[in-house]
Amino acid sequence: MSEPATRKAERASAVSESNEAVLAVRNLKKYFPIKTGVLSRVTGYVRAVDDVSFGIYPGETFALVGESGCGKSTTGQVLLRLLLATAGSVHFRGEDVFAATGERMRRLRKQMQIVFQDPYSALNPRMTVGAAIREILQVHNIARGEEAFEKAQEVLVRCGLDAQHVGRYPHEFSGGQRQRVVIARALALEPSFIVADEPISALDVSIQSQIINLLEDLQDEFGLTYLFISHDLSVVKHIGDRVGVMYLGKLVEIGGKREFYHEPLHPYSQALLSAVPVSDPLIKKKRIILAGDVPSPANPPPGCSFHPRCPYAMNVCMALVPQLKPTESGRYAACHLVHPPDADAVREASNRDAHY
Amino acid sequence: MDTVERMNNHYAGAGRGWPALKYAQLRHWFGNSEWSQVARHLLRNRGAVIGLVIIGTFVMASVFAPYLATHNPLETSLTTRLMSPGSEHWLGSDELGRDLYSRMLYGGRISLNIGIISVLIGVAIGVPIGAISGYYGGKLDIITQRFIDIMIAFPGILLAIVVVAVLGVGVQNVMIATGIASVPVYARLVRGSVLSVKEQSYVKAARAAGISDAAIIFRHVLPNCLAPIIVQSTFQIATAILWAAGLSFLGLGAQAPMPEWGRILSQGRGFMRTAAHLTTFPGMAILLMVLGFNLLGDGLRDALDPKSRGR
Repeated sequence: MSEPATRKAERASAVSESNEAVLAVRNLKKYFPIKTGVLSRVTGYVRAVDDVSFGIYPGETFALVGESGCGKSTTGQVLLRLLLATAGSVHFRGEDVFAATGERMRRLRKQMQIVFQDPYSALNPRMTVGAAIREILQVHNIARGEEAFEKAQEVLVRCGLDAQHVGRYPHEFSGGQRQRVVIARALALEPSFIVADEPISALDVSIQSQIINLLEDLQDEFGLTYLFISHDLSVVKHIGDRVGVMYLGKLVEIGGKREFYHEPLHPYSQALLSAVPVSDPLIKKKRIILAGDVPSPANPPPGCSFHPRCPYAMNVCMALVPQLKPTESGRYAACHLVHPPDADAVREASNRDAHY
Repeated sequence: MDTVERMNNHYAGAGRGWPALKYAQLRHWFGNSEWSQVARHLLRNRGAVIGLVIIGTFVMASVFAPYLATHNPLETSLTTRLMSPGSEHWLGSDELGRDLYSRMLYGGRISLNIGIISVLIGVAIGVPIGAISGYYGGKLDIITQRFIDIMIAFPGILLAIVVVAVLGVGVQNVMIATGIASVPVYARLVRGSVLSVKEQSYVKAARAAGISDAAIIFRHVLPNCLAPIIVQSTFQIATAILWAAGLSFLGLGAQAPMPEWGRILSQGRGFMRTAAHLTTFPGMAILLMVLGFNLLGDGLRDALDPKSRGR
């Protein structure tokens, strides 16, 4: 346990040294139109991702957490351009992902890969895993024929499978093995950035730690950068370097793992952390129980979207949307408690409110 | 115990011996590629083997019709009209004294041709339309599907009549007509399957890997839509044969002396009370052929599904 911990520490120090973000996400929005009637008139939008900005630095694991439906998976898919963004930009090593076309897009695709949540639907049931890996090697002109075959065996072995497994179909593997295949496929292109979209939540608990360890080993070996999407805060505590908390399509807090787990800033983060089970039954924890449900992202509440459930909600929270701003310690939070709004903004917001 | 040995024991279990082909033997014959696994599984399926035997028999009978026929199928003889089945005319003779057995051998050729070729036409046009419409979606999909709606609004046989009316009568035009009439069926079916398959993570993964749309459609999407296409095709062959018979009945398909099953059936209709064999045998032939294709289709559907195939 101590050895990975030091590796983590080394990496964390390396992270702080380089200021150039591998991935810079600015004001990203993804709205899904709600269509009704025969004519498919657009009657509203589901704001799955609503004005999200963050940066991911080389070699780190940026963990995106939040409850289901908060838009974390959508964020992951939008920034790989698997879904078209409504607004905003994503830059990968300075290159605009949404503007790239043709050959440049293909080169970007090679750099950025994804590991899906459900290994049962992430593999084409009609292709042997070897054929699936060979196909993408050929598309990117990395290897062909016999060479591609050997390369496929190589990545499978690296991910803890047998070289003979190249000839097998996905249904011949167990869930954990399939996830290893999915990781091997992502790894075959030698990417530098991987979106891990809840890579372990569909797996058996006994298998989860194996996959997490595999992801960590690969990160050390190939210097990978991860966007790790999860709802499991205890896993994030293990693998993450920095944590971003999403609520209803918005990022409400970003911070280093240690500070975040020690003292979360946003009331939502505090509630989330208080819900993490502790293995020692003698430790009495104060649970913060949130009242009510997550509001619909099609019709988010005005002001801070968390205010209907927030135990500390103030009047200003109902009128003014808090912005994600840095604190003195370099952490980010979107909360009026952390960044008290100035009087002018409050007045303006309440005037606007009276106008309605 | 290794896999082959285990599979042998599994398949050689008591009472499951027919057809008594051992896994290892089949593996030896077919190798171990995807299609050989399909073939192996198909030959383990009793229903599929029966279907194959039925279809095989009809195909053989059609191919070797000139050698198997006892009479010239077009030769009339007024002295032997409406004879019951017997040693001279094995399946009896029709109202013009023509030998029913020989006519049915040649008729099988026409019916099989119509069934298979019209389905090929339908698949060749309908599958790409459905795949493109479903994969790209959006306006293209809406426009395409409204055209398909218009085609579906006509009963298939009516659509076929329209096409024959435009192209003229004859067996060839009947094939084209029934093929075109089955296009909307395939376009709709494939679109539906593509819509569900394209949401699978492996399609997203393929896109994330930078694979082109064409390659995704042909290598990832369509192979996973195969099962419904194959099952539909078996029904469609049967439907095409029936449509062709209907068109022939209306005088739009096979012309007078040509021995087509549907035509024989409709001609024999007038003599149902006095010479039932004229309707019974062609009817049974159509029934058997349809049954054969359906059994084969069912077997193929199972064999093509890697999950039910197991190993």
